[in-house]
Amino acid sequence: MSALTLYQLVALVLLAVGLYGIVSRRTLVGMLIAVELMLNGAGLSIVAAAQLTDANATLGQLGTLLVMGLAAAEATLVLAIIVVVSRRFGTTEAAAVSTLKE
Amino acid sequence: MEILAKLAFAIYALIILGGALTAVSSKSLVRSLVGLIVTFFGVAGMYLLLNTPFLAFMQMLIYVGAVCVLVFFAVMLTRADGRGEEAAPVGGKRRFRALLAGLLPVAGLGAILVKHQGETKTLPVEVDLTALGSGLLDQYALNFELISLVLLVAMSGAVLLAWERKEKK
Repeated sequence: MSALTLYQLVALVLLAVGLYGIVSRRTLVGMLIAVELMLNGAGLSIVAAAQLTDANATLGQLGTLLVMGLAAAEATLVLAIIVVVSRRFGTTEAAAVSTLKE
Repeated sequence: MEILAKLAFAIYALIILGGALTAVSSKSLVRSLVGLIVTFFGVAGMYLLLNTPFLAFMQMLIYVGAVCVLVFFAVMLTRADGRGEEAAPVGGKRRFRALLAGLLPVAGLGAILVKHQGETKTLPVEVDLTALGSGLLDQYALNFELISLVLLVAMSGAVLLAWERKEKK
């Protein structure tokens, strides 16, 4: 098995664990952690594909930097949403947040 | 030397797997966050193996330094201890659905990946740091500006969302 395939399999494992977590977790914080796992898998996959094939390596590394920036922006927004939800509903369970207006 | 690289790869893969499983299955969200940090360090090790030390550094700076602190704030603002909202055991039906959601797409992708193995280099490409910098400011300048715009919008949006309006309460 080639090196590229091995790296991509590790990235796929991260994707699988993240998908499992986002479905099985109850609270928004647990879901946020699962999303971060998946984003890490995406970054690893991009870098492995850029570094081990004839593709543009600079573009691959910059793309992963872009993913990291988007992850930071997403974590900021999710933190604010969690603050609002816990203030309004008293809990952060995803099942409890099902009404637009009380 | 090649056996050392394989050994390092196996160790990093084990670190990633262990951290990820802790992150999604721990009852306490604080432990889950520690598992997430371990996974970040494992991925940083993978970046080092791929000959991208700058990305490994950025991984630690952005993910471990910034994103984890944000998640930790989110954990602290909610009930996250062993008796918190995640403490109730995950039901069998829910676990089955979660396993299905995780394994089905990954099994498809994995089958394609193993069947169509592309040509690969034995040694990763080495990219100079100056090439990355000039790429950010020259060819991909628009993307660079756009990501800063996204971060600015996310930051001001977060401030706006979490702002406590005093006149209403």
